[in-house]
Amino acid sequence: MIKILIGIVSGIVSGTGMGGGTILIFMLTVVCNIDQHIAQATNLIFFIPTSIMAIIVNLKNKNINLKLGIYIAIFGILGAIIGANIAIYTDVNVLKKYFGGFLVIIVFHEIYSIFKEYKNEKNDNNILKKEKED
Amino acid sequence: MIKNVKLALIGIISGFVSGFFSTGGGLILVPAFMYLVKLKSNQARGTSVFCILPMVITSSFFYYQGHFIDWKLSVLCAIGGTAGGYIGAKLLRKIPEKYLKIVFTVILSYVAFRMLTA
Repeated sequence: MIKILIGIVSGIVSGTGMGGGTILIFMLTVVCNIDQHIAQATNLIFFIPTSIMAIIVNLKNKNINLKLGIYIAIFGILGAIIGANIAIYTDVNVLKKYFGGFLVIIVFHEIYSIFKEYKNEKNDNNILKKEKED
Repeated sequence: MIKNVKLALIGIISGFVSGFFSTGGGLILVPAFMYLVKLKSNQARGTSVFCILPMVITSSFFYYQGHFIDWKLSVLCAIGGTAGGYIGAKLLRKIPEKYLKIVFTVILSYVAFRMLTA
């Protein structure tokens, strides 16, 4: 039951377009005490059906640049082969620490993007105000 | 030409991250698509999901070979995830993204702290 609940929470976060995977991995490792590798593998399987749905919707809405997508995907597969192979031979606790470090980078990236959006919003508002005044 | 090399590198790096951590490829691809290729945000997101799926399938194969896949756990999470994804997409229309982002960042800071000190 708790596992379905964890799925629901991660799904909600994914649906809003933010890293549902990071939350899923965290909850599995910390709440359920599952090994980092197994949590990451669960996230991979978790991603497949949800992303197929998202791709269908995005294809219908013409939100996918196919030429660019295929080009990136080919190099991405190459990177994934390297990354996945290093990960499966990395010690569980070391992998967990790397994951924590990776999350710190995400946090800084999010803070930066929140500030940037805030700045843009302010600029937009100023432009709107000016247009009104004109 | 230089742009193509840059894009290839971005592809490899995002593939590496999504293979190594099994998550986070979109974090690299979405901004790269927006700033390098000047795609709009919904196009950048759509294209990034399209790119990540083959990377995830590739990674799954190696995690499977390493015997790291717990099918029962994965199916249970995926069932919850499908329901949650639907709720999340609806929620996105009601609550401004900015507030969601702030909440997410706060939670993530805590998560990072727990992972590093565990």
